[in-house]
Amino acid sequence: MITRKEIHSYLSREPQFDDITCSLKAISRQPKGIMNETKKVIAMARKFSDEVLRPYALEMDRTMQMTPDYLPWDLVKKANEWGFFTLWIPKIFGGHGYSIPTLSYFMEETGSVCLGLSNLICVHYLAVSTIFGSWNLKMINTICRYVAEGERTGIPCLLSTAITEPGAGTDVEDVELVDHANVACHAKKVDGGYLINGSKVFISSGHVSTWHMVICYTDLENPSSNMIILPVKTGTKGFSFGRVEHKMGVKICPASELVFDNCFVPDDWVLCGPEDGARTKRGAKGTNAQVLDYVLSSSRAGVGAWGAGAARGAFETALDFAMKTEVNGKLLVNHEWAQSMLAEMYKNVSIARLAYVESNYANGLYGMFKSIQVKPVYYYLKFLPKSLADKIAGPILNLYQSTWLFRKIHLDWQKDEEFHRTAGWGSLAKFSGTDLGMKNCHMALDMMGQAGLRHDHRAEKMFRDSKLLQIYEGTNQLNRLNMFKCMVARNYPQVKVFEKEQ
Amino acid sequence: MDSTKKELGLLAKAASEFAKKQLAPDREANDQYPFGPFFGSVLQKAFEVDFFHVLLPESMNGMNQGMSALSVVLESICQEDSSLGGIIFTTTAAQELILAAGSYSQLETISKAETISDFLIALPVFNNPSEVKHMVQYKKSGDDYVLSGNLDYVVLGGLAGHALIPANSPGSTKYAYFLVDLHQNGITKSEPVLSLGLHACPAVDIAMNNVKGVLIGEEHKGSECFQRMSDRMHAASASMSLGIMKGSFREALDYARKREQGGQTIINWSEVKMLLSNMAIKIANAEMILESACKSIDLKESRWEARSRAAALHIQDMASELTTDGIQVLGGVGYMKDFGQEKRFRDAKQVQSLLGITPVKKISFIENMI
Repeated sequence: MITRKEIHSYLSREPQFDDITCSLKAISRQPKGIMNETKKVIAMARKFSDEVLRPYALEMDRTMQMTPDYLPWDLVKKANEWGFFTLWIPKIFGGHGYSIPTLSYFMEETGSVCLGLSNLICVHYLAVSTIFGSWNLKMINTICRYVAEGERTGIPCLLSTAITEPGAGTDVEDVELVDHANVACHAKKVDGGYLINGSKVFISSGHVSTWHMVICYTDLENPSSNMIILPVKTGTKGFSFGRVEHKMGVKICPASELVFDNCFVPDDWVLCGPEDGARTKRGAKGTNAQVLDYVLSSSRAGVGAWGAGAARGAFETALDFAMKTEVNGKLLVNHEWAQSMLAEMYKNVSIARLAYVESNYANGLYGMFKSIQVKPVYYYLKFLPKSLADKIAGPILNLYQSTWLFRKIHLDWQKDEEFHRTAGWGSLAKFSGTDLGMKNCHMALDMMGQAGLRHDHRAEKMFRDSKLLQIYEGTNQLNRLNMFKCMVARNYPQVKVFEKEQ
Repeated sequence: MDSTKKELGLLAKAASEFAKKQLAPDREANDQYPFGPFFGSVLQKAFEVDFFHVLLPESMNGMNQGMSALSVVLESICQEDSSLGGIIFTTTAAQELILAAGSYSQLETISKAETISDFLIALPVFNNPSEVKHMVQYKKSGDDYVLSGNLDYVVLGGLAGHALIPANSPGSTKYAYFLVDLHQNGITKSEPVLSLGLHACPAVDIAMNNVKGVLIGEEHKGSECFQRMSDRMHAASASMSLGIMKGSFREALDYARKREQGGQTIINWSEVKMLLSNMAIKIANAEMILESACKSIDLKESRWEARSRAAALHIQDMASELTTDGIQVLGGVGYMKDFGQEKRFRDAKQVQSLLGITPVKKISFIENMI
């Protein structure tokens, strides 16, 4: 009826089979333990939401409106006590080793209650993924163990990623754009290390973080091939905090300016730089694109999960209001138009969730989580006693050969279509989830009228918070183009994306 | 017609200059929480140049102008800071309610006030009292009426000398409006309510315990008065939205001409051009719709009421969409308080809720037609 060759040919047509069946392919390969972990994480998120987020969210948001420079150390400490800063760090690096895709569910759950507090906790994992994206196992092991130590001592050790600059926002998210960008954060090679000069802006959780993964450039004229990721510790000479930005929402998570003035970072700490890139199959520029895509493919799925959370928070707030409020003589929820709106909102939540889940499957098959979701590795890491992880795995991870092997697996052996797929799904999850989140916030305010405008009814805070999701981690405009580049344009040589249009 | 256009042009110019000079410089400061003391001196100046008197009859020291005139004033003001627009809207809506009820003498007394505080009238202007359960009840006590109960989100309740309070009698679902002197004993006001937008047009929750109120119009006829006021004031709310849209577009265009990304000013990226174009198209359409609606109201053309409401419902939808794009053009800085876009985004959504719950307003629109 149909030959093997024909099957291959038909499935290679657009949309390609592998692009549209990430979940189908992943489910059979997925370790069963992930299901139980997901249940546990969702339950834990709901408990945390009940005990911490709901009671504090509005009060803290009001405090931040009165005192925009206030830093929420008490909440950082509370999240540290719950173990949230190590929960998704693999056991061999000192963490609790929960499967990383479960973080997205946590983000949806907590984001549905307070995006600000959820950001404060989860943006730490953007930095964790930045370290992992470098595949420098020694530094992953070093920095993650500082985080674990912070949990043990009760002195939180958060991480931040610093990429946006005053003159370059969207540009620094893609190597195709960065060569035209006004980047100014320079890493100058000096004896024994690098000197960083310049500044970074809008750095989420900057002021409350201990380590900052600073993405800068050794050559400002040719940044795409000269990207370097340098970890800088708070308190290092030459590093200081600038202002806390005064944002419309997500106020609980400070957006910081980081200032570098001849800040020295030793060679040993370099996460990855141009020399590492030169040693890989794709060269420095290609590898930088891969590293950015590894980070952004996972972080954008996470932002999509926040979008689902925003959509859900708006839905739940509107539903609660509709259940209690009479309009024109009967409960709002019993008006047919209101039921239709609520159904539409429920649908938006579900679509946003499906998109980020599919993106996670893509990352599990082809991206960031690939090696740790292979069943033997997963179960080895899961059941490895902590003492053995510390004693045996630690020294192995510090070997150069370990980094070499992981870079081989994740950088050289990753196919172009694989990182296109993960990057495409990441962008799709991000812009669709966050657009749907914003849409539901509009609908909630429309349904609630005057009550929705009041801070004490929560909906207006969600409306303000949700808007940020359409902007950061690449504006939704950039993400649409990135998805087009990765999922559509790749097969058409005549298509140019990010080309100057003047 | 030409002279009317010229007059409107002069009024728009005066309002625009006022807004640029008096409102724009302190927009961020006036938006801060905790609120106040707001722009007290600016309010006094707006009062002196008659921005609160546009629709009032000449016999009440008013300008006796039509909706087109109020529209150009509100639009110009809201390009810079819609909070003052909200204050003008609320007071004018209260004046219109009193006029719709035929209680001229009450309004005449207030219109002679010499201070802005005594002139302003507070009103729960985000609420159509027919839609919600009444928490304030009145009873007759001799020739007077006495009110008790709670009323949420009374706009200008903390600033104005008087408030128009909707209340019903025990057992009745129909309500009436009462003019209440807010200085009298028995009134408890909350702190200004923290809300999404229009921060410098504050609202308070009011608790009343046996306070005197003067009946406006007739008992049980509040709904009809609200409808008549609302028919006209929908167009005024649309003009606020149009002003916000214009302010957002101007700032987006200005930024797009300066900001560089990818080696060129962002206005040269066609996706940004598309965003800006969609904003400009919405504004051009909103201008046409609003002008036509205001003309219909002023000339009392057939179905002017529907046109006024349709203009508001459509333009306010557009304003919500446009202001979100207004932030996107600026990217990260659009989300920051240093620029005006985030405030416009909040204000546009707040303005959309004027005069009642949006979907209910839409349902009412068709119910009035069928």
